[in-house]
Amino acid sequence: MLLIKNLHKSYRTGTKSYPVLKGINLSVAEQEFVAVMGPSGSGKSTLLNCISCYIPFDEGSISLGGERLKGLNEDALAKIRNEKLGFVFQDFMLLDGLTVRENILVPRIIKDKVEPEAERLADTLLSLFGIAHIAAKYPAEISGGERQRTAVARSLINQPLMILADEPTGNLDSKSSRTVIETFENARKQLGATIFMVTHDSFAASFCDRVILLKDGAVYDSLTRNMTGSESRDMFQDRLLAAIKQMSAIEGRPEEQ
Amino acid sequence: MTMNQLERKLQKADQKQSYLYLFCNFVSLLLITSYAAMMFSPTVLLILPEGGDSRKQVTMIFVLALFGCVVFTVYASGLFFRKKSRQLGILMALGASRKRLAPGLFREVLILSSVSSLLGIVAGFPFVYLLWNGFRLFIVDTDEMRLQLDYRCLLLSAVFFVLVVAFSCVTAYRYLRRTNIIDVVHEEHKNEPVRELGRWCGPVGILLIFAGAVCGYEAPAVYMNLFSAYPTGLISIFYAPVFVGLYMVMLHSVVHGWAGKRKHPYKNIISRSMMKFQGKQTVNNLLVSTVLIAGSAFAIFYIPMLGAGQVLDVHSRPFDYCYHYRMDQTALQQEEIQKLAAAHGLSVKDFRQSSYLILGIDAIVRKEDGRRFHEEHVDLCESVKVLSESGFNALTGEQIVVPSGEYRVVSTSTESDIYHYTNTGTFLTNMATRETIPAKFGGYAHYDFLAGPPGYYVINDDDYTAIASGLTPDWLGTVAFFNIDGKDSYAFAQDFFHTLISCFGPECEYAYFYDRVAKIAAEEAGEVYWGDTDSMSQISFDAPDASDFRLYWAYMPKIRILDQNDFLRSFAVYLMMFLFISIICTLAALIISYTRCMTITLNNRYVFDDLRRLGAPPAFLVREVKSQAGTVFRMPSVVGMTAMYLLYVMLMFGNDGQLVMGEVAGLGACLIILLVMACIVYAVYRITVQKMCRELEI
Repeated sequence: MLLIKNLHKSYRTGTKSYPVLKGINLSVAEQEFVAVMGPSGSGKSTLLNCISCYIPFDEGSISLGGERLKGLNEDALAKIRNEKLGFVFQDFMLLDGLTVRENILVPRIIKDKVEPEAERLADTLLSLFGIAHIAAKYPAEISGGERQRTAVARSLINQPLMILADEPTGNLDSKSSRTVIETFENARKQLGATIFMVTHDSFAASFCDRVILLKDGAVYDSLTRNMTGSESRDMFQDRLLAAIKQMSAIEGRPEEQ
Repeated sequence: MTMNQLERKLQKADQKQSYLYLFCNFVSLLLITSYAAMMFSPTVLLILPEGGDSRKQVTMIFVLALFGCVVFTVYASGLFFRKKSRQLGILMALGASRKRLAPGLFREVLILSSVSSLLGIVAGFPFVYLLWNGFRLFIVDTDEMRLQLDYRCLLLSAVFFVLVVAFSCVTAYRYLRRTNIIDVVHEEHKNEPVRELGRWCGPVGILLIFAGAVCGYEAPAVYMNLFSAYPTGLISIFYAPVFVGLYMVMLHSVVHGWAGKRKHPYKNIISRSMMKFQGKQTVNNLLVSTVLIAGSAFAIFYIPMLGAGQVLDVHSRPFDYCYHYRMDQTALQQEEIQKLAAAHGLSVKDFRQSSYLILGIDAIVRKEDGRRFHEEHVDLCESVKVLSESGFNALTGEQIVVPSGEYRVVSTSTESDIYHYTNTGTFLTNMATRETIPAKFGGYAHYDFLAGPPGYYVINDDDYTAIASGLTPDWLGTVAFFNIDGKDSYAFAQDFFHTLISCFGPECEYAYFYDRVAKIAAEEAGEVYWGDTDSMSQISFDAPDASDFRLYWAYMPKIRILDQNDFLRSFAVYLMMFLFISIICTLAALIISYTRCMTITLNNRYVFDDLRRLGAPPAFLVREVKSQAGTVFRMPSVVGMTAMYLLYVMLMFGNDGQLVMGEVAGLGACLIILLVMACIVYAVYRITVQKMCRELEI
């Protein structure tokens, strides 16, 4: 589904160049729920922005559903953002002047005229994520958890190949965080969504199939949850926390030690 | 729902922002149109001589107002797009291409900018009419005050209209072209902090303001001395340090404030930080408001400076009446004046009169050749009214002695008017016989009542007799003073004035600066006298109450009661024009400050929410609001008003190296006006604080 090879990205300030991503290699399979974790400045958001086609990258390649993103023109990138990707942001990024239902339909409006079939899908998503009762309300009138569930529903309206979520629980309390993560799980189970999430929250990450740890712009480690039943979610979270603790204590990558 | 419907819905949701943008453009165009309408109005142009200082000053204030409006429009446009950028960024992030967004955005921007600008232009004319006719209704109304407009002023508004629309479109294009979508989304919350700067910035700024004012003021004189040429407008560049200094003072105000080391250094840490993080925009706004307040003060100071001097001068006159006439005219004699006074139930006392000669005088004058000039001696330079020493003493009660071969010039006791007179003369010429007598400058004879251009000169009695021989009546004159026994009446004064005018023939229908000697000299040299060209102010016996007539007629009598009562009428257009400019500039400054405060409120709403969550009581929040608004209103007012006041003191002192009584009184009146202006600013500040508190739900 997603294949990243030797991805490099630097930011420039005046004549100085600051490398942020230093040769990232990773892949995400269809219907996989993957989290990326790492300390501040490790390059998580930059990685997500490169996959989202928000910022150009310097070297390497990103393929999405077999299509390479490098070299595409602006219109083609916009089309990929609209049709192949769904986005969930930390600060929701809902349009204040539109109702919850209209917000969910925005990517479809951008793509084309809204047909009855899209309206039916919007209603399905509203029901699936438990926000049908607030469909006519505006973002300012609903809670943070409800806003994020609206954003998840919006990300699915064009039935994308993958949902990219940037700290989706960052602005939420624990109860709302859990609801939002359950929403992602629902989306995966019932709609077959593939989810790539950047997070600081080990609790949210513990729901994922795999967690990639980033450090200093490179993949430090990758932890896969044992799905055969021998490892509970709590155990996976403990393993995650231990790996993060180790990563914080050690300089460089494990293979370099 | 289609993309168009979506955009319309979003525009509707952003109405508040659109209205603010609409309002800012509307105000800018309204101010520019009304100012231009006034500046190019024939009513005003008639009283502002071409190339004169007044016209230059009005134009200078207009340029400043124009600069203020440009900055304000740019600011409004920036504000609108910063708010709009979140919407654009979200749509881009969700897959809308720039091509898809461009038509809707440009349509919205074009409609908003053009409609607001057109409305401003259209409203500009009724605004001028309302304000001007308000003056006529409530302050003074004369025939000259009838407002005529020259619709060519619309050209300027049209240029500004095109600039506003073009700038809006360019800004929209720039926002659309930005490649980093994340930046576009977060543009609204992007702060523009000013970088750290030392505490020296403010004091150095103040020094630069002073240095710039002195340099700018002195530069033309230095240039003329060095190069014997008149400088071009570029010489104004020497005023540039004033603006740099102003910027530094504003920067210091935003970053450090002006309070010294405090007992509680953390007391204002929140308000100071809020101010610093919006620093660049705040400094720009403060600078524009300061310039406008300064322009307003500069204009309004004309009124007291003119009025106070005039009031003092009229009040201190030793006689109620002074008139003079040429001997070839059948002017009023003492008996006729007594009869006229008796008809009004009055009687005349203290009647004194003396004859005088109208002679030619030589001088060293400045001859111009393009911008360059040189000094040369001219035998027949101008005409002077010459009294004998006994005649002068009889008129004034003074006891001066003038040696033979000298002349004294009658000036005020402070000699503040001496730049009007010739002190380089060496001989006087009888214009009928062309006989001359030697006469060199021997100093000044002080008598305020006779002082003023073209001025009286006093010579020795023997010289007077010698040079008077052979003069025809049109080169002879009489000057007379008298008082009214008891309380004078305005009706008599008017009667006297109009009767006096009726005694003069058309050969005396000219302004005092129309010089008969200079005309003869020019004609003898085969040149056209400049006074016979179109640029000469025309006066007419048919309009004796017109301000031009009262100000410039060569034989205008001094009548205390008439001058007291008709002062406002005589200077009506002049005074009202400066009042108008002051109102426009103050209005613009207040609107800019108000808009800035509301922007600070909108941008810092989350700070106030956080403070409230942290347990800050309403009184604390109100103090923070006042601190923000206080800086925005206080700094431009204090700096603008103080700078202009000091500039006026410098100008008054620079004229003659002293401050005379009239100038001191005028400066005192200016202080009262500043107090009134400060009260108006304070009232608007209070209203703004209330509105900010309402907006922040405090």
